[in-house]
Amino acid sequence: MLRRDEILNQIESVVELPAVASELVELVNDPDADIKEVVTILEHDPGLTANLLKLANSAHYGGRGSIASIRDAVVRLGMSKVAELALAIAFSPNAQRPVQGYHLAAGQLWEHSLSVSAGTGHLAKALDVPAPGYASTAGLLHDIGKVVLGTFVEVDARSISECVEEEEIPFDEAERRVLGIDHAEAGAVLLESWGLPADIVETVRFHHRPDEIEGDPLGVDLVHIADILSMESGIGAGEMDGLCYRVSPGAGSRRRLRALEREKVLYDMICTLDELRAAMAPSPSHG
Amino acid sequence: MHQVVGISEMIVTQNPADRLVTYSLGSCVGLTLFDPAANIGGLIHCMLPLSKLDKVKAEARPAMFVDTGVYFMLKKLLELGAVKENLVACVAGGAAPLDVQGSFKIGERNFATLRKILWKNGVLIAAQDTGGTNARTMTLDMPSGTTTLKSQGKEWLMGTTKKHTSCPALQGTTSGLIGAAPNAS
Repeated sequence: MLRRDEILNQIESVVELPAVASELVELVNDPDADIKEVVTILEHDPGLTANLLKLANSAHYGGRGSIASIRDAVVRLGMSKVAELALAIAFSPNAQRPVQGYHLAAGQLWEHSLSVSAGTGHLAKALDVPAPGYASTAGLLHDIGKVVLGTFVEVDARSISECVEEEEIPFDEAERRVLGIDHAEAGAVLLESWGLPADIVETVRFHHRPDEIEGDPLGVDLVHIADILSMESGIGAGEMDGLCYRVSPGAGSRRRLRALEREKVLYDMICTLDELRAAMAPSPSHG
Repeated sequence: MHQVVGISEMIVTQNPADRLVTYSLGSCVGLTLFDPAANIGGLIHCMLPLSKLDKVKAEARPAMFVDTGVYFMLKKLLELGAVKENLVACVAGGAAPLDVQGSFKIGERNFATLRKILWKNGVLIAAQDTGGTNARTMTLDMPSGTTTLKSQGKEWLMGTTKKHTSCPALQGTTSGLIGAAPNAS
């Protein structure tokens, strides 16, 4: 298991959490946190603030053009939603880059992440269940481990492909056999080191194996199914792993949907993605 | 010119220098149609089988759905002067995750819808590479009229410009097309 240790040793140095996001995570985990502190921290980073306001004002996040400041955002959307947005923006530079190993082109991981995050909400609606608050953040960060593991997958690409073909196993299982760790766990380890809440960490860890999570599987089921739907659409389905992941029979039977209902969820995910893409685009001068 | 066809997009062209490419075909279907006599071709990347999910959207973006998209593509090709019975069709995509319960069937449904519309319009599929778990990249090379596929670092030729016979078709007109018209007016 030498390879696993080597990977674990490198995880934290591969992707660093921007200081602002890390301060924010601490505050959000603190029940006595003061809204003023959150506002102050965020406003020290004008780039982050500008991007956060863009997203907050998209129809998906509920601002609909009326949020003018971080304070507005916190009041209107709540602290945890603002923290989610800040994390999204902190993660975006990494997610926008091409991901080696998985052969993801620039922007693909980012779009996949956004679509899965939005998908958890659409799916919960279709199933008529309340989505747990952490589900959309977990959806956003579920594949962050690919950024970490990509270089290792690249090196051992041939062994992993052969393992998938010969043993007829899913890609993440082949990662575990060859590297001793899969991208889901690598992501969880990274997020844990950032101090993110356990719900998010465990959802990311088990997003390909939702039956193995301890406690209520609703959040991980939502991320798991939204992830599969997003891969089906081809968003973030790299030429290396593609759709080679197992649909959990447990999640499938816990969250039953008819074919057309499932397609409607995918359709809604893509519409939200279009909207977020437009919201994040460099804004043309007004007027 | 190298032109990228995005998800839910279509390009038809008669520029002999064009090279149309679409990435990340998952469960989506990609279709190339090429008329070797007229040197007119196109590539479409459809995401979902049926436009009844959103009729309004289907008018604005017919290529999102297989039923409206394939109809729209045939219509555009014939408007440019392609002849239906000359069209060489190559189909790729329709992949699926590993699913013992078999409930994630978007790919299968996409392909079934595509085949039905092509069949109703008398266009035979010359080559197909569908199913499995691979994400595919599909390219139509206009200078040679060939369609190639790429996946997992390998690239191979799918279809050539070889003519084939098909049902008698309405040449150079769009009036006889069968499918879901994206726009009724």
